Amino acid sequence: MKTELSPRAKVLVYGTMCVLLIPFVFPTWWMVTSSFKPVSDIFAFPPQLIPRSFDFTTYGQVFTLQPFAKQYWNSAYIAAVVTAGTMGISSMAGYAFARIRFPFANAIFMVVLLGLLIPSEVTIVPLFQLFLKLGMVNTHWPLILVPIFGAPSVFATFVMRQFFISLPVELEEAARVDGLSRFKIFTRIALPLARPALASVAIFTFLHSWNLYLEPIVFLSSADKFTLPQALTQFTDAYGGPMWNIQLAAATLTALPVLIVFIIAQKHFVEGLAHTGLKG
Amino acid sequence: MAEVTLTNTRKAYGNVNVIHGVDLDIEDGQFVVLVGPSGCGKSTLLRMVAGLETITGGEISIGGKVVNNLDPKDRDIAMVFQNYALYPHMTVATNMGFSLEHRGGSKSEIAERVHWAAGILGLTPLLDRYPRQLSGGQRQRVAMGRAIVRSPQVFLFDEPLSNLDAKLRVVMRGEIKALHEKLKTTMIYVTHDQIEAMTMADKIVVLNGGRIEQAGTPLELYDRPANQFVAGFIGSPAMNFIPGKIRAEGLVTSDVVIPLPRSAQEHVGQDVVLGVRPEHLVAEESGIATLVTLVEPMGHETQISMMLGQTLIHGLFRERLPLRPGSIFHVRLTTDKLHIFSAADGHRLM
Ligand SMILES: Nc1ncnc2c1ncn2[C@@H]1O[C@H](COP(=O)(O)OP(=O)(O)OP(=O)(O)O)[C@@H](O)[C@H]1O
Ligand SMILES: [Mg+2]
Repeated sequence: MKTELSPRAKVLVYGTMCVLLIPFVFPTWWMVTSSFKPVSDIFAFPPQLIPRSFDFTTYGQVFTLQPFAKQYWNSAYIAAVVTAGTMGISSMAGYAFARIRFPFANAIFMVVLLGLLIPSEVTIVPLFQLFLKLGMVNTHWPLILVPIFGAPSVFATFVMRQFFISLPVELEEAARVDGLSRFKIFTRIALPLARPALASVAIFTFLHSWNLYLEPIVFLSSADKFTLPQALTQFTDAYGGPMWNIQLAAATLTALPVLIVFIIAQKHFVEGLAHTGLKG
Repeated sequence: MAEVTLTNTRKAYGNVNVIHGVDLDIEDGQFVVLVGPSGCGKSTLLRMVAGLETITGGEISIGGKVVNNLDPKDRDIAMVFQNYALYPHMTVATNMGFSLEHRGGSKSEIAERVHWAAGILGLTPLLDRYPRQLSGGQRQRVAMGRAIVRSPQVFLFDEPLSNLDAKLRVVMRGEIKALHEKLKTTMIYVTHDQIEAMTMADKIVVLNGGRIEQAGTPLELYDRPANQFVAGFIGSPAMNFIPGKIRAEGLVTSDVVIPLPRSAQEHVGQDVVLGVRPEHLVAEESGIATLVTLVEPMGHETQISMMLGQTLIHGLFRERLPLRPGSIFHVRLTTDKLHIFSAADGHRLM
């Protein structure tokens, strides 16, 4: 439903929205512009909204001070693998919990949900011991396995289960009469219809992996294995002080793909987050 | 094509019995309508035949083969669901060909069958649409198309018309009937609408509380209902029931005496319920005086509600009667069209 606003009300509404935008837009603007400024201008007061001079060398330094391209690749492929794995596991597990009757299904689902209640700070130490025994410390395995079998996947399973429960049972019964096996029903009927839920799971999981911070700093120790959030902390001078402009250039590059995806898939993104019942 | 036999079929959910030993023989090519009030177990019974519900006890056979433990796909049946259950992500053609695809038909064979079915149902121009781009009646037709492409042994319908408006329902009723004439396949059709049952069925099965009350042709059920439940369920407006006691002079209620045929004398002294259909009331000066409460002219007929002593009854009259609420109206009950049921258990006495 669309209601026509009077010109006056329009001005008021758009004016208010512009004001409300400031706290969201300003940090991004500041990050991007400051990545071009000499360090001395970054903390100038009043803040310079438009840089007085542009220094593009910061972006070059990002790649010379750290193996940033390698780190970019690390983040990207880990997030992709985690997303694909989570989509696979959560859609199958969610379907099983929604549709297949097996003993103690509800009790088991409750136990699975408990995984959401335990913060990663609690499990990180035992996980470290575990991966140490497995010889996987300072590899990417923990960053892939922990989310696929941990809280993000549990959450995704919950989202998928809720979706499959809401799917009309008659569709699957019609498919049974049409001669499909349970697995075929899943792949040919349930899964194609679950696209909106799968999209939100994908977005959520990818972002979670892309932004992961605690796990990389615990499990990784060599710079060429680092992921982006962790790499950002590495742009420091000899005294450990941050090199602000270079760091902000790296931060801009880190945020870029998310921003681009967001702008392209804005509609899906908002719907997806609305679907998961999550706020951004 | 095949006959369907149910022998002492039972269904329980946990310890709640829903179907209590149903026996039913459906002949090859018959159009059987299961009818009954909401919750009587019509859908459950149909779904047991389909294989979508397990069978707690008894036996179901299709074409002479016991199917109790067969999957729906191995029973050679097709089902049309109440909400159609079309696959939303597939076109009409894909929807219709889907079952053949999974039974290993070749592409050209599938296309040929789909076009044959689409032709019968007038769906040819719609084959490339998606279900969301169709009207309710078109979706209904696609659901039937999906069922017939495969030429199964038995068609099962669960209230297929209940989501359509009244006019379309009449049209589709005719189409399904015509389809049956053409295909001559056994059909089992569930509805709670007794008009659908009367107009479509070769055989009606009236269910109540998980039991068969009566099975027979539409006119058998109409003319000789086996009990008061069937009498009240079949026919619209419904049959009138007047409780009383049989005496030598006729049926005696608390305030009127209604003449009965002579044969009623063998039940003299019994408490009974007299049943009379609205069209079997005749306006006649020498009849019993009633008090008119409502006059509903419908053009070709007039329905009149009136108090016969303490009982509200309805009559249908072809003539236009000059009556208004409050009038005194004399009616005669056509003696040879009366039904008499036992007051104790409702079974038919005569
Ligand atoms: N899964 C179930 N568990 C327990 N009871 C059930 C279940 N499914 C159906 N019932 C019960 O079985 C009885 C018959 O249900 P059914 O759906 O067959 O009725 P129906 O005759 O098709 O009614 P309607 O005309 O409303 O569709 C009902 O009393 C219902 O409550
Ligand atoms: Mg039903």
